[in-house]
Amino acid sequence: MAAVRGRLSGVGFVLPAVVFLVLVFLVPLVRVLSLSLHPVDGAGNPLPEFSLVQYQRVFSETFFSQALVRSFQTSFLVTALCLALGYPVAYALSRVRTGVLRTLMFVIVLSPLLTSVVVRSYGWVVLLSANGAVNRLLVGTGITDQPLPLLTSYTAVVISVTHVLLPFAIIPLTTALGGIDPHLRRASQSLGAGAVRTFTRVTLPLSLPGVAAACMVVFPLAMGIYITPLLVGGANQPLAGLRVYSQITSVYDYPVAAALSLTLLVLTLVCVAAMGAGFRFWERRHDG
Amino acid sequence: MAETTTAPRVRRRPAVARHAGRIALGVPVTAILLFLAAPLVVLAVSSLNPTASLEFPPQGVSLRWYASVLSSPDWSVSFRLSGLLVLMVVATTTVLGTLAAYGLTRGTFPGRRLVEGVALAPLMVPEIIIALGLLYYFQGLGLLNSVPGLWLAHSLVALPFAVRTIMISAARLDPALERAAATLGAGPVRVFLTVTLPLLRPGILAGAVFAAVTSLGEVAVSVLISGANTTTVPVRVFSAVKFELDPSVAAVSTLLMLASVVVMVVVDRLTRLTEAV
Repeated sequence: MAAVRGRLSGVGFVLPAVVFLVLVFLVPLVRVLSLSLHPVDGAGNPLPEFSLVQYQRVFSETFFSQALVRSFQTSFLVTALCLALGYPVAYALSRVRTGVLRTLMFVIVLSPLLTSVVVRSYGWVVLLSANGAVNRLLVGTGITDQPLPLLTSYTAVVISVTHVLLPFAIIPLTTALGGIDPHLRRASQSLGAGAVRTFTRVTLPLSLPGVAAACMVVFPLAMGIYITPLLVGGANQPLAGLRVYSQITSVYDYPVAAALSLTLLVLTLVCVAAMGAGFRFWERRHDG
Repeated sequence: MAETTTAPRVRRRPAVARHAGRIALGVPVTAILLFLAAPLVVLAVSSLNPTASLEFPPQGVSLRWYASVLSSPDWSVSFRLSGLLVLMVVATTTVLGTLAAYGLTRGTFPGRRLVEGVALAPLMVPEIIIALGLLYYFQGLGLLNSVPGLWLAHSLVALPFAVRTIMISAARLDPALERAAATLGAGPVRVFLTVTLPLLRPGILAGAVFAAVTSLGEVAVSVLISGANTTTVPVRVFSAVKFELDPSVAAVSTLLMLASVVVMVVVDRLTRLTEAV
């Protein structure tokens, strides 16, 4: 009895969460899977027989397949931008250890994270609208004669999604950079390496776990994001999340929405697994 | 820089080089921080616009949009609903999250890694799938357009944040303290309540903040499962932004930001959240 209790210690603690996750997370996912495996009748109601017709549609209709490709490209781009913009901020945060400056930086980094996605997207709508701040600046300085159609552009979508996800990159990067022993930097410099060489040979390699964590958080979030592209870019942006949303809310075709969103999920998981494997391979090669 | 004074043997770099280094880092960092803050600042400033447009910079300063929001029955129903949901979601996720995080960190049962994976999975799954899954599932259960439906959905989205944050505290917990309490005659329940829980407090509070903020801002799932009677504040902002641009939405957004900042500042006072991240 004691052995059983020892082997199963902790089960009682996780049980409530497991029951909750099975009922509210896994069961709905399985229902989405079964929904995606049925054809529909003329009115869009799922029929009882099994079929892969929904997946055929996802892969053969460019309306869906191109959205998947575009979502992948966009997520890749946004992840790269988040790393490029997040790294300097995280580096600065890890070097400024105390004081008002650090608190101010933290508030600026964390406040978007604590603000609803809808509010942040709305902020971009206001900034980029025809009489918004950016257009006023452009017209006022004479760079353009009339306001540019910044809203509804793909560029606006990339900028706003990057803005929404940037704090998710900064936090793991700060943790990784802050965990590096400052003596290593000093050792490198006292052995004659310059600031640039110390950064590329000591700091950057040691911060790679943070880079990996940032990629693996930002990329999946970017794959599924739909509120920000919808508000900033409009419902016609060719992104998978938005296509699912429009199938649900205006076409009421749930089965194809299910097939598309599951394809998106599998694509996301494959990419994250590949990233994880890539980083582990890199680490092993450099440790060994 | 401090390091030159603490390690005198290191040859001091020339002052010019150190200044150049600081500028090379400071300028881009300032620009990126401005990029992060810009939309939120512009929104807060626009909410003070005395006219019905969202011009920036505004022509004057007025609180008329705040007055119109606070006196609007629609918005006040939404504020009450969002407030109620925050309380329900924080209570649920901190209880489930604390127990799960402790069990996952301390437990040795088979399948522990699997449970941990599932508990954190909602973070990895594209939000639109969770939204579609709950929409279809709740339709069958009659939970669409209901407070229990929103409560379950928000708790699901917030749970991984709570579990992850509390697991960090649980991993730092010294088992010797619990063993000492048990040796001194405390039963397992008493040990958990009087030793374990107080030691997990920073993680639990941080987890509660994340849960509160997640629920307060949740739109991706709520948009699909809420209805006319259950419009949370962010969902109402979402529909307003889709159909009109009016400074009253900017006022609500600013209030929503302030609510989050207040939550963060209060908890930071209690736990030094900014240093824990």
